[in-house]
Amino acid sequence: MSTEYPKFAVVGHPNKGKSSIVSALALDDTVQISDTPGSTVRKQSFPLKVDGKILYELFDTPGFQRARRVLSWLQKHDVSADKRHEVVQAFIDAHREDERFRDEIELLEPIMEGAGIIYVVDASKPYGEEYEAEMEILRWTGQPSMALINHIDETDYSREWKRALGQYFKMVRSFNPMQASFSQHLSLLESIAQLNEEWIAPVNRSIALFKRFHSKMLEQSAAEISRLMYHALSYVERYTLHTEKASEADERKVEERYKERLRRFEKESQQRIEAIWQHKHLKKEQELLLFEGLDLFSEQSASIFGLTRKELLVTAATGGAVTGAGIDLLFAGHTLLLGGAIGAVIGGAGAYFGFNELADVKVLGQHLGKYSLETGPMKNRNFPYILLGRALYHMMKVINRSHAVRSVVEVSMESSFKEQWLDETLRTSLEKYHKMFRSGKEVENEVLQQYSTLIKTVLENFDRKAGLKQFSYPHQGDNAQ
Amino acid sequence: MNLKTYLDLYAVLKHDRSTREEKRAFGLQHQKWIDDPLRQLRAWSQERRPHLKKPLFSDTFSSYLYGITLTLSVVAFFLGFFSGIGLLSYSGHEPVNIIYFLAVAVVLPLVSISLSLLAMLRANRAQSFLVHISPAYWMERMVHLLPGRFRLSFKETEIPPRLSNWLVIVRSQLLALLFSAGLLCALLGMVVTKDIAFAWSTTLHISPEAFHTFLSTLAFAWKDHFPWAVPSVELIEQSQYFRLGEQLDTQMIAHASKLGEWWKFLAFATLFYAILLRIAVWCMAKWGYARALKRSFLSLEGVAALLADMNEPVITTSEKSDENAAEERNSVYMQETETLDRSYDRAVGWSMAEEALHLLNEHMSVITPKVDKAGGGNSLEEDSKIISRCTGEIVLYVKAWEPPTMDFMDFLEEMAHVARKIVVVPVGTAENAYRPKVREVEVWGRKLQRLESGKVWLKR
Repeated sequence: MSTEYPKFAVVGHPNKGKSSIVSALALDDTVQISDTPGSTVRKQSFPLKVDGKILYELFDTPGFQRARRVLSWLQKHDVSADKRHEVVQAFIDAHREDERFRDEIELLEPIMEGAGIIYVVDASKPYGEEYEAEMEILRWTGQPSMALINHIDETDYSREWKRALGQYFKMVRSFNPMQASFSQHLSLLESIAQLNEEWIAPVNRSIALFKRFHSKMLEQSAAEISRLMYHALSYVERYTLHTEKASEADERKVEERYKERLRRFEKESQQRIEAIWQHKHLKKEQELLLFEGLDLFSEQSASIFGLTRKELLVTAATGGAVTGAGIDLLFAGHTLLLGGAIGAVIGGAGAYFGFNELADVKVLGQHLGKYSLETGPMKNRNFPYILLGRALYHMMKVINRSHAVRSVVEVSMESSFKEQWLDETLRTSLEKYHKMFRSGKEVENEVLQQYSTLIKTVLENFDRKAGLKQFSYPHQGDNAQ
Repeated sequence: MNLKTYLDLYAVLKHDRSTREEKRAFGLQHQKWIDDPLRQLRAWSQERRPHLKKPLFSDTFSSYLYGITLTLSVVAFFLGFFSGIGLLSYSGHEPVNIIYFLAVAVVLPLVSISLSLLAMLRANRAQSFLVHISPAYWMERMVHLLPGRFRLSFKETEIPPRLSNWLVIVRSQLLALLFSAGLLCALLGMVVTKDIAFAWSTTLHISPEAFHTFLSTLAFAWKDHFPWAVPSVELIEQSQYFRLGEQLDTQMIAHASKLGEWWKFLAFATLFYAILLRIAVWCMAKWGYARALKRSFLSLEGVAALLADMNEPVITTSEKSDENAAEERNSVYMQETETLDRSYDRAVGWSMAEEALHLLNEHMSVITPKVDKAGGGNSLEEDSKIISRCTGEIVLYVKAWEPPTMDFMDFLEEMAHVARKIVVVPVGTAENAYRPKVREVEVWGRKLQRLESGKVWLKR
């Protein structure tokens, strides 16, 4: 019965939230959760693995179906307490092929293999004596056990439940998988570890790992938000024109494309953040990123060899100046550097006035010049805070959402949200980076990392507040059950 | 580390579909390089390269770059060579003016080296006009104008401006170096194959002494070690040339054999200013390019995630397996009733106390001569006795919030063999005035469907 790592079987009456608890503890939103009893028909293993090495293993099990019959069978074997677990094993062996006891065998097997028992009840419903047969069977197994009080609905019958559970379990804890924060998750793990002295060390290792994992996820999210900000603020939508002058339709088109692109940046970034937090199946409702009042301007530009008129002017002027300077040098400066000046003027003027003509020149059937319409980078100074606010709000919704919740999450930012994260000091710090992003220049990785660190600080503040339950993210309508 | 490795990594990051576990396994396998991310990235790119679609963009691009560089190098060398031949062409009627040669061998390299240094300082900018004036940049641009089949699509690969700028700078130095090599070869070739009389000539009023000082300054790098490669004041005096009706100065003719001595100075000037300095700048450019490449490697989109995947432990909390979901059977007809009759032969409560059953009867306005408590704390034998008594029409109260277990279903099935009619009534909690929730009744309905018994009805 000994195992190298702790195992815990989440057991109980059907439909009391066992799968929700497992889903929340395993950070897995793929666990099948249903209000139809018997949706879990086989035990499911949820091992916490680090590089393939299991630290602990959780089992989601089917609910008891014929507890009284099982207990009746056990009670027919009048044995002393130290032999009772053998009787339970005998029951499993005798009924392994009996379809009637499939659920009981599925749930008893991991327990008999050494798993600790986490007995789940729903304290939003009154206590009933039908639970006693189940608790008695669990007592017969002789395995360390605890009761976990879940609250599927609003009503509260905790007091009567605690009185009853206290007679069967030495530890009774409350845990709402739909609203459990990260710290509650860890606290529950600590409690579970107390069931057996040998489990304390491995579970504590797991807790330390979860903390590191959580911090890493915050860091990755901050980096992801930083990337979104950089890409969105520096993005330029270019639309190649086939004529020299852009029409209104062209302008509308390039602006629409620009908006769509920014929305896509946001959507993809949100998907990546959901993946970081293991919410790959999250369904959400969210208002589109709007651009009202942001005055997007599209500018027409032309280029030759990829150089704009200004760049070509500078290049030609420099070329002219260098040539002229060569002549100046040949005259050992006696030309009073007029050669350089004249060369620069000729080169610059030639490029400026001859730009359009040069653009129309055809080489090997292609025009040297290209005309395009451009929108971006985003010049509006408020836009970064709108986008960042939306990203942070979405992120917090994801962090605070339990993996047990299956309902559609509504991501509609309250107007007061900005006050919760943005103050003058932070705005000043962020503005410096937003200016860099808007400039359209290539931003060094180090700069992005600095920005990311700033965002991480904001996220950590949110996370801390959420952990302390001070941060108000209502879960109304989020409950699946 | 070179551009090819960079492009390979770019392609790997974009197209590779390796799993998190594979990346971590690779990281563990090469744990000794954990502090050398570049090495890890190179090795990963090498490992995943065979999985990319052929032909690899890096191969195509490298061969294209190689071709362009080779062509330009040959052009630069011969340009330098023929410039040298041109500058040193000597008909025998008048000497070769060294000022022209010095302009190309000293002034031009100094100017272009200064511009290159400026370009290096500004190489990290997206648009560097100093880079744009390089022939290497313009040759590449010209290639873009070639018809489709000759053109290489750069759209799919974004080479950061920092890297492309350095690429142009490095290649510009190489071209300039080859140009200078061509120039030196031309000088040496001409000196070996011809007797050239060098002279210097200018309209400006420069005395031979002043010119000597200027040339000694130019020769600062070699005058101590190779003093014979610095023209003397005497030679400078003898080789000053004034064109007077294409008549040569008699003094010059008298010292014609000495005039060739200038070649040593010109060769050293070319070697130092056009070649050695250029090599130094080329090395600097190579160093800058390597640095830019390194930074670009680490800034590539997806690199941070890849390194994290390699170096951070894989933490999984679930075992992926298809959960064997319970079969939903909604198609079977379930007999339902909206109302209860006034009286039944017996009321049975599943896991309910007898007092609660009386209260429920009263609440539902149902009269039953007998009430029985089943399930819950009852033994199976006690339940069997109750079933044997249920021969008529039975109202069976159940807690709506407790989903039906198979224990209940066994009981109901047995009861259905004996009873004439059974109406299952899911009731809510007393606090809710025994009103069940619709969702709860649906759960009961779905479960009772499985019984497929004509005797069992569900009270909605």
